[in-house]
Amino acid sequence: MARVELRNLTKSWDAATAVADMSLSIADGEFTAILGPSGCGKSTTLFMLAGVYRPTAGDIFFDGARVNDVEARSRNVGIVFQSYALYPNMSVLQNILFPLRFQKVPDADRRAREMAELVQVGELLDRRPSQLSGGQQQRVALARALVKRPNLLLLDEPLSNLDATLRLSMRAEIRRITRELGVTTILVTHDQIEATTMADRVVCMANGRVEQVGTADDLYLRPDTRFVAGFIGSPPMNLIEATVHEGAIRAGAARIAVTGAEGTVTLGLRPEMLHPAERGLQARVAHVEPMGRERMTTAYTDFGTIRFIEPIAAPARDEGELMHLQFDAADTILFGPDGRRLPGARASLPEAAHA
Amino acid sequence: MSSATRQATNALVFLGPACLFLVALLVIPIGVDLVVAFTDMSQTLTVDDLTTEQFRKIATPSDEALLGFELRYSFYKALMLTAVYVTCTLTIFNVGFALVLALTTTALPDWLGGIYRAIWLLPRMSPSVVYALLWLWSVDPTERGLLNQVLGVFGIAPINMKLDAPMVLIVFANGFIGASIGMLILTSAIRSIPEHLFHAARADGAGSLSVVRHIVLPHLRWPLSYITVFQALALLVSFEYIFLIMGPARSTMTMAMLAYTKTLAPDIGSGQYAYGAAITLILIVVGVAVALILYRLANMKALLARPRIEVH
Repeated sequence: MARVELRNLTKSWDAATAVADMSLSIADGEFTAILGPSGCGKSTTLFMLAGVYRPTAGDIFFDGARVNDVEARSRNVGIVFQSYALYPNMSVLQNILFPLRFQKVPDADRRAREMAELVQVGELLDRRPSQLSGGQQQRVALARALVKRPNLLLLDEPLSNLDATLRLSMRAEIRRITRELGVTTILVTHDQIEATTMADRVVCMANGRVEQVGTADDLYLRPDTRFVAGFIGSPPMNLIEATVHEGAIRAGAARIAVTGAEGTVTLGLRPEMLHPAERGLQARVAHVEPMGRERMTTAYTDFGTIRFIEPIAAPARDEGELMHLQFDAADTILFGPDGRRLPGARASLPEAAHA
Repeated sequence: MSSATRQATNALVFLGPACLFLVALLVIPIGVDLVVAFTDMSQTLTVDDLTTEQFRKIATPSDEALLGFELRYSFYKALMLTAVYVTCTLTIFNVGFALVLALTTTALPDWLGGIYRAIWLLPRMSPSVVYALLWLWSVDPTERGLLNQVLGVFGIAPINMKLDAPMVLIVFANGFIGASIGMLILTSAIRSIPEHLFHAARADGAGSLSVVRHIVLPHLRWPLSYITVFQALALLVSFEYIFLIMGPARSTMTMAMLAYTKTLAPDIGSGQYAYGAAITLILIVVGVAVALILYRLANMKALLARPRIEVH
């Protein structure tokens, strides 16, 4: 098991920079998720950790030792690929045994079988990968990655090829197995639920840069940047761009008071933090989408389109209905022109702003 | 048009040309060969007699021989030379060297690998006479020959490959040109291996040789089988380069060469049509036997039965 440290890690291809100046520390045994949209550099980071790509600049340390120049095969890293990458010509057992071939361990067979039991594919040892279901292939891939007791386990979008139910159970399963073995794990995913449910800590990336590192709560409740605010949460946060003038932002007749910020700002309001009220921001219902437990309503306001969520038990609204929305100042988040959060800045609807 | 007529028309339109081709260029010649082999046709092209004389020329009954008959020396030698020629060219070049070329050129950067493969394809693209001439110049027995010039640099006396190592010469000449087909097929097969398998193997601790052994070679099983069967048959009947480089020399008189020189080759004892036909008939039988044996050994049935590429 290992501590992992990335220092000013950069990877570029010709003109394109996939990862820019990334620094990150991961504690021994920690489960970290790297989360971001496609092309944000998360997989490139993973492949640099694995030793498949060489960094253009910066350093990677495992337990304090620089591994930039260490070949993939000497890094003792286990990887589970998005496609599982099982060897099609080998049986399940041979697949799991494969990494041990190169380690000259005396009890390889026993270890491989134990690992197969741990991931619950003990019954399938003689099968070929093509005879397995997606979930089973994934378990075998996990066993193969873990059998050599790696310093670091890398998971590249491991659940994206599974159906929804299986994804739910594999999420818990992977968490159980990595915890049982205490292996330092890095999960790369574009799925925020996957990242926030499985990982101790989430690294949110965009355009090759780290936007924020924190727990699921940090990212959701205290996003550092506008990008994180918009990326985390479904439906996404309402983001209203406006200019603060004389302590307020205005649009048409509407006015929202702002403290602690000047100039161009982006006001972030989570859909579930907005609630209907007698007074407040005037809104006209555009359409209503029942989502099971709750109902999402899209409405037009003077500040643009806003989404908010109401419990399904609340009476359904009609399209075109006029209403008012309220929010608590404590729930508001403001971002400066550089996209960074302005700590201490708050927005509020003045009393009787609207009749 | 009724659907039955349409089906019949479709079959005719689509399969017709191929069938015609097959019949005209394969079935009829084999039939003619079969008939001529049992006649006494020679230069005058007249047939006086239906006879097994040609086969008796090749094999005379003998009580002492193992199988009850003794093969004519020239025929026996042709049989042996063919075996050596086909086996060596096939294993060393058409399969072995093709594999090495495919492995090395795919490991190089794309542009460099492309250049290397293009070089190996050049002989294929040049007319066979030109290719044969290049070989003749290369192995010219005087000091002007390319090979002898190279040997001269190391202080080795000039050699005459056509005299001293004729089989080596024709194996090399055929192999250099034959390796390119295998190289192309194997290169594309290696290219089709998903890249993540290589990454997985590296992460699992495999070195380059282990990657070749455990990832690449298993993927090449089917292309290799195909190349082996196909090229074995092609080599069995090939005589073009042997004839162009060696002429009707006895040292390289393989079965195909023997059949050719006895019948169609100008000015060198040709015109023994019936005898040549008999040799060709035996060559056809040998070809079918080799095909069946390799087909069995390589388990080609499984290859042809269903796609063997496992996609994940």
